[in-house]
Amino acid sequence: MFGWFKRKKSAATAKERLQIAIMSDRASSDYPFMEDLKRDIIEVIKKYKKVSNVEIKKASEKDINAISIDVELE
Amino acid sequence: MSKVIAVISGKGGVGKTTTTANIGLGIAMQMKQCVVVDFDIGQRNLDMILGLENRVVYDMVQVMDGEAALDQALIRSKANRNLHFLPASQTKDKSVLESAKIKQLLDELKKKFEYVILDAPAGIESGFEHTIEFADSAIVVVNPEVSSIRDSDRAIGILDSKSQLVKDGKEVEKKLIINRFDPDMVEKGEMLDSDDILEILGIELLGIVPEDKGVIDASNQGQPIIMNEKSQAGKAYKRISKRICGNKTPIVKPKASKGGIMGRLKGIFS
Repeated sequence: MFGWFKRKKSAATAKERLQIAIMSDRASSDYPFMEDLKRDIIEVIKKYKKVSNVEIKKASEKDINAISIDVELE
Repeated sequence: MSKVIAVISGKGGVGKTTTTANIGLGIAMQMKQCVVVDFDIGQRNLDMILGLENRVVYDMVQVMDGEAALDQALIRSKANRNLHFLPASQTKDKSVLESAKIKQLLDELKKKFEYVILDAPAGIESGFEHTIEFADSAIVVVNPEVSSIRDSDRAIGILDSKSQLVKDGKEVEKKLIINRFDPDMVEKGEMLDSDDILEILGIELLGIVPEDKGVIDASNQGQPIIMNEKSQAGKAYKRISKRICGNKTPIVKPKASKGGIMGRLKGIFS
């Protein structure tokens, strides 16, 4: 019977789950400028060599935010 | 100076339209000229909540397209002469919205009204993006429940990247209304508390509206609950409206009911 009183409250579970879910949502959402950046990179590199594809990825870990840019040449 | 405020939520069904109707009326009760605009194209609802569905002749899409004059489409509330309403189109879909036309409509509304309140559609698609595009600030409505809180964070993320103010290098002000808050459940540890929700979302609180069965009764009659002087939810909306108008009304947190077998049991064990 006393197990019922010791059970973890669901509000605390909700808070933990939300903090993790929202952190991961925020980390995986793109920056709004990514499409423009992609266009600009293609324009700059085109002066030297033809570009077939540019891929930009966002990466976040703890306090560090980064983007990685992969440029595929023709 | 006039202010454009978008009411957003992410998830549907959390009381966004009810909130828009009540704060619109609440601002009008503060003797300010206010207009509420239904941006939920194709799913018009604000007219019902305000009890004005029989008065709709023209809609905001017709105004934007030049098929009707703004004054022809605006409907004055029966409940308060300071409140006007601009209905959404029921027949068209969200794709009719265009940034330039929206800006023109809002500029025209700002000339007439001190407060322009926009009821955003649920979701985070184009209709939502158009609603927040030219807003000076946003009111985020959530329920103390995981899916509502998560979806609201996504909506805030889009607001922070797609609004014109942000593109101009400024910040768009946003404040939170926690709707359908049940203090008894919070006390039992079965519902997230307001402080927890604020910590998770990281935005400022505008007010807490308690769960109130009278809200459905009020919308049945097309009379927003703020008109009911005795209702707890109505009182909460009144305080929120005062704060929107710059009043320093303190935030009141709904209290748990005392007594009852659960309350006494809790007293013994804590």
